Amino acid sequence: MTAVIAKGVVKSFGVGDTRTLALRGADLEARAGEMTFLVGPSGCGKTTLISILAAMLSPDDGEVSVFGESPFRLRRSQLTRFRMRTVGFVFQQFNLLPALDAAENAAVPLIVQGVSTGKALKKASDLLDRLGLSGSAYKLPGQLSGGQQQRVAIARALIHEPRLVVCDEPTASLDAASGRAVMELLRDVAVSPERAAIVVTHDDRVYSFADRIATMADGRVVATTTTIASRDKETG
Amino acid sequence: MISIALKMLFGDPVKLAGLVLGIAFSTLLMTQQGGFFISLISRASNIVGEAKGVDVWVIDPQTETAEGPKPMRDVELFRVRGVDGVADASPLVQSTATLRTAERRSIAATFLGVDDARLLGINPQFVIGTPEDLRRPDAIAIDRLGFSKLWPGEPLGPGKVIEVNDRRAVVVAITDALPGFSAPVIVYTRISQALAYTPGGRNRLSYILVRLAPGADAGAAVARISEQTGLKALTSAQLQRMTIGYVLANTGIAPSFGVVIALGAIVGILVSGLTFTLFVSDNLKQFAVLKAVGVSNLRLLGMVATQALVVAFIGYAIGLFIATSFFDGVNKPLSDLKGFWLPWQVAALSAGAVLAIVLIASLVSIRRVLSLDPATVFRG
Repeated sequence: MTAVIAKGVVKSFGVGDTRTLALRGADLEARAGEMTFLVGPSGCGKTTLISILAAMLSPDDGEVSVFGESPFRLRRSQLTRFRMRTVGFVFQQFNLLPALDAAENAAVPLIVQGVSTGKALKKASDLLDRLGLSGSAYKLPGQLSGGQQQRVAIARALIHEPRLVVCDEPTASLDAASGRAVMELLRDVAVSPERAAIVVTHDDRVYSFADRIATMADGRVVATTTTIASRDKETG
Repeated sequence: MISIALKMLFGDPVKLAGLVLGIAFSTLLMTQQGGFFISLISRASNIVGEAKGVDVWVIDPQTETAEGPKPMRDVELFRVRGVDGVADASPLVQSTATLRTAERRSIAATFLGVDDARLLGINPQFVIGTPEDLRRPDAIAIDRLGFSKLWPGEPLGPGKVIEVNDRRAVVVAITDALPGFSAPVIVYTRISQALAYTPGGRNRLSYILVRLAPGADAGAAVARISEQTGLKALTSAQLQRMTIGYVLANTGIAPSFGVVIALGAIVGILVSGLTFTLFVSDNLKQFAVLKAVGVSNLRLLGMVATQALVVAFIGYAIGLFIATSFFDGVNKPLSDLKGFWLPWQVAALSAGAVLAIVLIASLVSIRRVLSLDPATVFRG
């Protein structure tokens, strides 16, 4: 099942002489149940493309569909709700709120959706346990290692069961072992038949976790390859 | 979301302290100086507020302040007594003289000479003795601040002999009178004594104190007295307002205090505004994350407003506590600032100003949050 379709997406920044074309008609397909990697050199438009796929940035031209919905045809308030329900985020710098403990950070998307704080924290603690952070639920981000912080960020990305998980360089701030552990975790928990995960990465050590790799250059997706992981899955 | 906003606020104790102290300092300046200002200008009308049982004050039309009455002829007293609705009218003479003790200590005092028979116009708060004691020869009643300045360290008590303009006076009673504006010590005596202590011209009558007949309308009586005598008749509240107006118009007190109070507000706006803007700027990334996960601008506005209001409340409470402690500390019977207090209106106005300060500060800050692009979370 196709989860995300981007067709001819164009995006520019600045005006006049300072105008920079970040995307020049990018096409991408990501399937549910798969982990799609977006790779390419710096400045090729990866971050701009996932910002658009995550409904945080509107394209100048082209079409985007996420699980059959066209987010940029929605009103602004509907777009915010769409993002709240449909998308989960994992960032390179974790971006945890430093004043909240691990469970509270993980519970933020549920609290935003209006779930009671008690229920949200309970679910967050359970999820953190599953992610190997039992005993760290009440620790502040500053008291956790980089790998642990990224696990909390993954918990935050998944707690509201979004259909699309978008990860921006999730291993870039981690050492090789932690990076690998985080990717294993993402594969285990973020990929499911109803969910798609799109990962932007420079880290070729983790390419083996991808089902599909889309290579970008100069604002376009220039090649898409399926990987061993995907072929294994297809052949059962 | 409110709890997240509060955790963000309390999670940065240094900036929180800066914000709270800015508001507290601003509140302190506004309430302390505001209360001081009101207390100071109110002193000029203390003799009016202290004279219990007076319905209407009659003064010379040229009089502009309760502390500087223009003298009237004695005959005016009888004219006022003849006005319909007036049950009784008593004379009151006000003058200033210096009290000297045998130990050569001296102090300027406001003398209030009340009608020998009626004793109307006396501050009823007697610490030692009673108004009736004033009927004794050479009798005066002095307030306890004056007593402590003339006989420092000595216990309050009657019997002290004093000299006023080469005449003998005996302290027979001690009052709890509030200080005046031009002379802080208040001395009560009978009118015959007051005239003897402070010799002057033929016409010495400062005020005519009127008691109205039961059921008489004060407004109508005031109008009738003014019309029939050509004098100025005012209720106590009117005379107090006129006196305060005179002090405001004829001294530099208002602009002087006004500048300090305005500075308090400006410092509050600058310190709190800058610190709050800095606080929000430092948290922009966090707000961007919240925006990315689907928090609407309205809820972000609520979060920033909550943070601003909590800071305002804590800062205001601290500032108000220090200001009220100041007034509580100085408003003692033997203090030169006796009678100084913090009117609730000043506290309420300060609360309004603090609210305005934090609203301005949060409006400046929230603009950056509202225009924040959530996609910034992907930029490292």
